[in-house]
Amino acid sequence: MVLWPFVVFFVIVLIIPVGMLLLSHVLGQRHNEHATGSPYESGIVSEGSANVRFSVKFYLTAMFFVIFDLEAVFIFSWAVAVREVGWAGYIEILIFTAILVATLVYLWRLGALDWSPKQRGERS
Amino acid sequence: MLPLLIVTAAAVVVMLAISIKRSHLLAVWLTLVGLAAAFFSLWIVAPLTPIQVTPLLIVDGYALFYMGLILAATFVTVILAYGYLENQSGYREELYVLILVAALGSVVLVASSHFVSFFLGLEVLSVALYAMSAYLCARKPPLEAGLKYLVLAAASAAFLLFGMALVYAQLGTMQFGQIAAMLSGGACYSKALLLPGIALIITGIGFKLAVVPFHMWTPDVYEGAPAPVTAFIATVSKGAMVALLLRYFYETGMQHLGSVFLVFSIIAIASMIAGNLLALFQNNVKRILAYSSIAHLGYVLVAFLAGGTRAAEAVTFYLVAYFITTLGAFGVVSVLSNGERDADVLDDYRGLFWRRPVLAGIFTLMLLSLAGIPLTAGFVGKFFLVAAGASSALWGLIFTLIVTSVIGLFYYLRILVALYAPPAETGEAAPAGGLPALSRGGSYVLAALSVLLVWVGVYPAPILDAVQRAVSTLRLF
Repeated sequence: MVLWPFVVFFVIVLIIPVGMLLLSHVLGQRHNEHATGSPYESGIVSEGSANVRFSVKFYLTAMFFVIFDLEAVFIFSWAVAVREVGWAGYIEILIFTAILVATLVYLWRLGALDWSPKQRGERS
Repeated sequence: MLPLLIVTAAAVVVMLAISIKRSHLLAVWLTLVGLAAAFFSLWIVAPLTPIQVTPLLIVDGYALFYMGLILAATFVTVILAYGYLENQSGYREELYVLILVAALGSVVLVASSHFVSFFLGLEVLSVALYAMSAYLCARKPPLEAGLKYLVLAAASAAFLLFGMALVYAQLGTMQFGQIAAMLSGGACYSKALLLPGIALIITGIGFKLAVVPFHMWTPDVYEGAPAPVTAFIATVSKGAMVALLLRYFYETGMQHLGSVFLVFSIIAIASMIAGNLLALFQNNVKRILAYSSIAHLGYVLVAFLAGGTRAAEAVTFYLVAYFITTLGAFGVVSVLSNGERDADVLDDYRGLFWRRPVLAGIFTLMLLSLAGIPLTAGFVGKFFLVAAGASSALWGLIFTLIVTSVIGLFYYLRILVALYAPPAETGEAAPAGGLPALSRGGSYVLAALSVLLVWVGVYPAPILDAVQRAVSTLRLF
């Protein structure tokens, strides 16, 4: 195994970021004006705290979408090979779907699918 | 396969039961019945072994033994969790679904004979553990623990996957048995890629075992997670990983590679020294137990390095003793915890003997067993570890083991001193109307564990027989 390309690569990997940081440090301009410290150094001065609470109902829905969408991928991969895997595969996908349905029932009963958070006030 | 299916079904049934009727007691009973059914199904499966279930899983005597151990430990955890969660407000039932899923992951792990099932089991276990450690999300420490565990475990899983990919790239197989054949058959492979692959796999495994230098998360997660969950992480998650470590390295014969042996020796010595020394500076019982578990995994690695049937037996037996002891110790922490916080500061235990003599006695037994004092399971376990190490003449490792055990004795004694110290004169001792009642299930479990501890310590022959029969099915290389 030839090692030297790896070593050269490693050295380059080290040199480039260090060089970039050093060069910008040495060559870069420095100034301290009135607005240097503020975001974008211009525009409207930001006021208040960024820690504002706002409702993110779509967040839960998006999470469920991602999860169930991913599960759908498994069903697609079964559908492609449906003849090859035969009855055993059919039973397996049935079990898989049954667990998915059970999850859906759980989410529904938990109130996670309700848009208004009225019934989920117990915890938060 | 039957035990795996039962645990899976139990998880789904508990989840459905929660969605139909939210009852803490019902969820616990369903979980316990599921675990017990899975445990007894081991005897139904036993005559059929060893069977290879798909290329991924192998169910042999060894896997069955560890499955039994894991299911029993999960059973104990569930009972402890019931008593613990009774004091909590909010949703309590989901924890049992998570525990069942985590148990499923570890059961897959101990039966896996393929990289895919290894990773699958590990992820099922880890993902459930993230949620379990952050379960009481109204408090700060569990959240912190869950987040830390999530970030670090995810990173270590990435290391593990990359290591598997490198090994696969070199050997062209992911099955443990075939890896062994490739390694010994002199197949053409480049060591320059194989060894980094093995090193990355060791990183992933080492993280789960919390051995030095992959131990940073342990004290924080142990401290933050709810006490029964901590017990679960300390026993089931680590035990499953040790079972896999034995199978993976012994069946592929990788530990005979000189550099792998060296790496494990360094890890073992570092774990024993760092675990025991760092525990000296702690004032938090959960953190002390965390560092002590790091040291204990170091001890286990000593026997692991010895190699051969004797070593596998010693490791397995030690794990049995470690399971009993650790569950007992965290069980005491768990029953003493109340709705607001876990009883984890050393001051919570000051003068415990004068308030709750039986509980203090049980805790004393557990600590003595952790320290390896004779007549307890911990002593017998440590004896076998040393014997296994001595039969392979690993003198340096054994020397470290003995010296660090002596250091370890000190911090166990510190807790003991606190237990028997005269009660503090703060005026809050002995509140009017007696002490709050302990959870009944938790007390029975603790009593059973301490009886088991002494029994294994005095008369280890039955367990030893079972261990020998289990390990004899392991295909050593």
